[in-house]
Amino acid sequence: MTQLDHGKFSKMTTTFHTLLALDVFVLFFSGYSLMFNDELWWMVNLMGGSSGVSAVHRIAGGGLIALIVFWMLMMVTTDTGRGNFREILPSKGDFDAFIQDVQFLLGNADERHPNARQFAGGTADEIPLLTYIGKGVVFIFAIELALLTISGILIWSKTGVMDLLATKTAAAAFVTFHGLLGVIMLMGVMFHIFEHGFHPALYPVEVKAFIPKSMIPEDHDDDTEGTGIEQLELSPSWNMASTVVGAMTVIGIVSVLLGSLFDEGYPVPREIAIGGGLTDILLTVGINMGVFVLLLGLVLQMYGNLLRVRWQRRLEQEDSEPATATDGGHVESDD
Amino acid sequence: MSYREHLPETKGYPRTAIAINAVVALAVTALILWWAADFAVFYEELFRIQPVAEGANAGVGSDWTSGNQVAWLDFLIAITHAADVIMGVFILFMVFLHWGAFRRLAGRMRQSGETGSSAVAADGGRVTDDAAGEDATDDDSAATDGGERR
Repeated sequence: MTQLDHGKFSKMTTTFHTLLALDVFVLFFSGYSLMFNDELWWMVNLMGGSSGVSAVHRIAGGGLIALIVFWMLMMVTTDTGRGNFREILPSKGDFDAFIQDVQFLLGNADERHPNARQFAGGTADEIPLLTYIGKGVVFIFAIELALLTISGILIWSKTGVMDLLATKTAAAAFVTFHGLLGVIMLMGVMFHIFEHGFHPALYPVEVKAFIPKSMIPEDHDDDTEGTGIEQLELSPSWNMASTVVGAMTVIGIVSVLLGSLFDEGYPVPREIAIGGGLTDILLTVGINMGVFVLLLGLVLQMYGNLLRVRWQRRLEQEDSEPATATDGGHVESDD
Repeated sequence: MSYREHLPETKGYPRTAIAINAVVALAVTALILWWAADFAVFYEELFRIQPVAEGANAGVGSDWTSGNQVAWLDFLIAITHAADVIMGVFILFMVFLHWGAFRRLAGRMRQSGETGSSAVAADGGRVTDDAAGEDATDDDSAATDGGERR
């Protein structure tokens, strides 16, 4: 199992990450099948029509509120939470890491910056808790989730907003705002799935988000120069898989962005826009590709949890059979 | 020898904190949703005094027209569209940046089919050479040990 790189998440964080991801996927599937109902009509039908979708979205929304409140309390009330707060603050290293990533892409740098390195290998001691992308994800998702939750609670009962602002169209405006705001998160999650599912050394999933730090051996070979990525074997399917999913991620992001621009919600338009034609077919295909990337993310996170269960069993097995327990690092590839 | 001896001591979160915070979070959620549901107004109580649009749009349905012209709501939507586009372009750039970096990193890795006895992962794990082993028997022209084949 070459994916077993340095551990980062505690047990609580891996569990929280899984629950948050599941909840957000359900919110995406229900919310965007409503917003992009021209393109995702089949998903609306699948969830029992518009009333079914609203019910699913509200239940998952309730779950999201609980998760967010729980996380905020954990960050404030525990020493570990307060201690980690320093780790998420952006530093000069993060900016350098971004520049160096561009240089790495252009061939002007030989390695990715420690603040960008997803696969640490022999350099695990150098790298911070979060990459610059990781910090960006924390900040952007925190702002997004807070605004989405506030606007979501406001439109939970539409008549309340109408009364508050003394206009019926206020409800339409807040629903539109809520949907448009989520588009950033939708695009970000597609990138997140590609970033953590298709790193060549960690493909098909970065297990450090699923296997707690306490279960990952830390005996790195310090003699290794650099990360030691040259010693790992590339999965035969990586080339094809990363190309296909990379393309789908790009098409998905572009499509939901265009779809969000076409979707007029406020001011409520005078005329009904009748769809059809070639552009609508392309948009339908593109948005469905984006949804496929999300579905893939859901599957990959299930797979990550499956790997955790297998790894846990293996550790327990080695524990009960002391004769076969070696240096704790003799691991076979699972695929 | 227990496997735990090789595992790092990590400072996680105390169980009691998790349990208490989970209960508090559920209670707060229930309160918020109770408030959100109670926020609803019976529709007949809405708009006893209707806002009215002046000028050319005056007349029947002018309350709708008026409500459709709230400047700050219009601005809110416009700025969100702009944020979507800016973040979308940025995220697309990040996808391409990572895609390219991944391709470069993949080029450094041993390609499948290459033989190599030093298949030791950096985490101390051993990479099984099932595929490489099978290929090696019918492919004698494999690259030398540790060599990079592009």
